[in-house]
Amino acid sequence: MLKKGIGWTYAALVMLFLYAPILVLMAMSFNASKYNALPFEFSMRWYRELAGNDKLIDATLTSVYIAAGTAVICVVLATMLMLWAVRTNSKLKRWIDSLVILPLTIPWLILGLSLLLLVSAAGIDKNFMVLLIGHVVVSLPYAVLVIKARLQSMDLTINEASASLGANEWTTVRRITLPLLFPAMLAGGFLAFVISFDNFILSYFLIPGGSSTLPIEIYSSIKFGFTPEINAVSTVMLTATTLLIVLIATIMRSSLKFFLK
Amino acid sequence: MDRKIWLMSPAVFLLLCFCVVPLFIMVYYSFLSDGTGGHWTVQNYMDFFQKDIYLKLTWKTVKMSFYVTVISLLISYPMAYVMVSIIQGGKNMLLMAIIIPFWTSQLVRAYSWQNLLRDGGLLEIGLRKLHLIGSGPLGLMFTSTAVIIAMVHIFFPYMVITIYMSLEKVDGALVEASKSLKAGPLTTFRRIVLPLSKPGIISGCILVFVPSLGVFVEPRILGGTQGTVIGTVIEDQFFEIYGWNFGAAVSFILLAIILLSMAVLSRFAKEEA
Repeated sequence: MLKKGIGWTYAALVMLFLYAPILVLMAMSFNASKYNALPFEFSMRWYRELAGNDKLIDATLTSVYIAAGTAVICVVLATMLMLWAVRTNSKLKRWIDSLVILPLTIPWLILGLSLLLLVSAAGIDKNFMVLLIGHVVVSLPYAVLVIKARLQSMDLTINEASASLGANEWTTVRRITLPLLFPAMLAGGFLAFVISFDNFILSYFLIPGGSSTLPIEIYSSIKFGFTPEINAVSTVMLTATTLLIVLIATIMRSSLKFFLK
Repeated sequence: MDRKIWLMSPAVFLLLCFCVVPLFIMVYYSFLSDGTGGHWTVQNYMDFFQKDIYLKLTWKTVKMSFYVTVISLLISYPMAYVMVSIIQGGKNMLLMAIIIPFWTSQLVRAYSWQNLLRDGGLLEIGLRKLHLIGSGPLGLMFTSTAVIIAMVHIFFPYMVITIYMSLEKVDGALVEASKSLKAGPLTTFRRIVLPLSKPGIISGCILVFVPSLGVFVEPRILGGTQGTVIGTVIEDQFFEIYGWNFGAAVSFILLAIILLSMAVLSRFAKEEA
């Protein structure tokens, strides 16, 4: 009994450490004071100002477009790659496995600046195309891992059954594999969306002059002077990504393993 | 060869052109004297190794990542142990609750510590109410300690999961056997549970130590003048000073440190297995 009490208390303390800063930030977004001063006084003022802040709204829209593009491209590329991987016993496979997780082992700082150097070596200006490609490179491993986890838990003999019933390969993929894979494709797409939407570092290096994404706006207002709407916009951002993650986990409940590389 | 090779080629092409090639371009730049031009030189590397300040910053970055890893381990191991051995219902919910913040914005989570750590912030108010500190300011904000706290907060959840996975696999029969052979709980833990959970500890350490080496956002937001690490040196070269060639050299050195520490840690894992 005592052991149980200590265990639960410890777990509660760890949860407090994990969630206290986040919850305080959310609470502060409803605080009337401009400088997060206490005592707390409830106000929706920062959310109203947020609604009128065109710069932040533009940046948010840019982030959403980039994240949506990243998600779609990642799902298509990852699905194609895995459809190949599941059918092949090529020696290339091991190399490609390492290639796919390479962006996970290199810090985004280094990936971002090496892409910046690529742009400069090619003699072109920073543009949204390179930015989008950068986001795809860092999000692709996650989409691949989600789809791979699903494929590994799938009964592949069903493909053979389809083939033995006279379906050609394309029909099997279209009518059997893809429908079974669909939840994982959805989850992988949402995950890529979240990774891209939250990504600050790559955008910071690759954003064309005069444009901005939501994380860039947040960073510059933290760095160059306090904007109280930042609490509000951060709260919106945290809530949205948390909901998406819960959604992904619900879709992929059968293989929670995908959270682990 | 493979008829279906076109299926994988777009992804492979993308990763080769926009992940592998840029790294080689980075190495190429690090040996140039001036931007895209100039002449071949090792001066950028000489600059790094001959100036005390950069060696000191490298050592500081490694030390900081080491602290972050050790503190994360001290928090994560008991947490994973509690989750495996004590908590029965709602384990999946708890796992979810631990991992969700991991996927939310690092930038926002680093920033969220400002409310707690700054002078006159909530931590100061709380500690004063408990009479744990005097009336002076807390003095935590814009220190290395603040950076370490936030980095632990950002990176430790993954370690809980990896240790949890390896602890879950420990065969209960072994623990029973150890008990029946009159081993005390501490001996059982030290000789049975701990060695068996080593793979989880090591992959957890890799997942915390490696990204810690490359941070620059957390030190910028919470570290103030104490927050200079390798990552911020690199950022400065690209955004403030325009010393791209030197920046590329420092990045390559950082990458080498990262690959080296991954190799050492996974070697360690193999030896134990």
